[in-house]
Amino acid sequence: MSSTLEYLRPRTLIEAWELAASRPGARFIAGGTDLMVRMREGNVQAPALISLRHIHELTQIDVGPPLVLGAGVNVSDLQANRDVARVLPVLVEATRTLGSVQIRNAATIGGNLCNASPCADLAPPLLVHEARVRLESAGGMRELPLEDFFVGPRASVLRPGEVLRAIVVDASPNGRAVFLKKGRVQMDIALGSVAVLLETRGLACVRARVAAGSLGPKPMRLREVEKTLEGATLDDRTIALAGQAAERDVRPISDVRASADYRRHLAGALLERGVRALINGGRT
Amino acid sequence: MSVELSFTVNGEPAEVRVEPDARLVDVLRDALGLLGTKEGCGNGECGACTVIVNGRAVCSCLTPALEVEGVDVLTVEGLAGPGAELSDLQQAFVERGGIQCGFCTPGMVMSAHSLLQRNDSPSEGEIRNALTGNLCRCTGYAQIIESVQDAASRLRAKAGKGGGHG
Repeated sequence: MSSTLEYLRPRTLIEAWELAASRPGARFIAGGTDLMVRMREGNVQAPALISLRHIHELTQIDVGPPLVLGAGVNVSDLQANRDVARVLPVLVEATRTLGSVQIRNAATIGGNLCNASPCADLAPPLLVHEARVRLESAGGMRELPLEDFFVGPRASVLRPGEVLRAIVVDASPNGRAVFLKKGRVQMDIALGSVAVLLETRGLACVRARVAAGSLGPKPMRLREVEKTLEGATLDDRTIALAGQAAERDVRPISDVRASADYRRHLAGALLERGVRALINGGRT
Repeated sequence: MSVELSFTVNGEPAEVRVEPDARLVDVLRDALGLLGTKEGCGNGECGACTVIVNGRAVCSCLTPALEVEGVDVLTVEGLAGPGAELSDLQQAFVERGGIQCGFCTPGMVMSAHSLLQRNDSPSEGEIRNALTGNLCRCTGYAQIIESVQDAASRLRAKAGKGGGHG
């Protein structure tokens, strides 16, 4: 019945890469909250599973600057981390909406990203902070913007044998950010989510970064929205225009959870709500 | 190609042979006969399979069995005392009618147990948040929440912090 012949628990990255190199088709597994389901449904088959849970190198947090978050950091641990909450509050805010207690107790930040689901809750907050990802294999390390990491639904630029080692975020001392997510009930997968980061002088918007989840084939920046906001006065008219831009920027699909039309509307509504929340001091 | 797995379940050592991709829920139920842990959805949404691994509530349907090598696992069977007397939390569920069909109850109880280990005076919001990952299709959750509140006040009374609802 079972096609998985080995479950391996390396203690170091070097060991993990060696195991992967000698086992074509092996999959890395972290929290398993997604992979376990997909394997059981028969959508993923792997002759070997290589667990990344016991690799100390992957669970380091350095608040920096820059902030360096090991990809293996558990989501509940991230939620409880006061240092990260101080330098990147929007990320910790997003962890609260990710699944249930049980899911957060297993899931990792790296798994949430490597899964490359369009609805990954931790992606939009990291995208507005222009996070970078460190990918490492036996052949060396490369660092690229998180935005370029995602290719499409469940597809990333990770190569066979390559591991997401860490997420790197430069401080954004003058920017404040919010994350808004709409699900049917609290623990749901997002129907749509939007993160907004604004740097303002009074009501003048100096810098805007906006990202969306579940509103396109991958977590993505909404650049037309950013252009609408940057350099503008954040009055009702600008906010309405930015909301319209959000509806144009997103590329939603219809699925069992919501229609594309609904999601498009949601994009505008969440964006406007996010901007207003930031103007009002971060209260959503 | 099964492999050896040894861990601790409810304080007792367990040694079983498992397939490399076995799930913890299957080991508990099929290999160890601990049928209190239920499998509902099998994909981490309903929480009926909740157990406590290294002090944290997780879905045993999403936990690779081989990840509990050398680890302490607590299932609903481990809550009762040595003479099989129910824990305060279990007793509160019985007395407050926190149970209808009972299928979700072991998971509910384990999530609530995990909460009360960390916080013996949870607000209603904290209780609801802790039970977000546990679905009950019989009740409106009101009596489940009352059960947890009742258990919390029993625990506080035992700890000498006085009774009454928080």
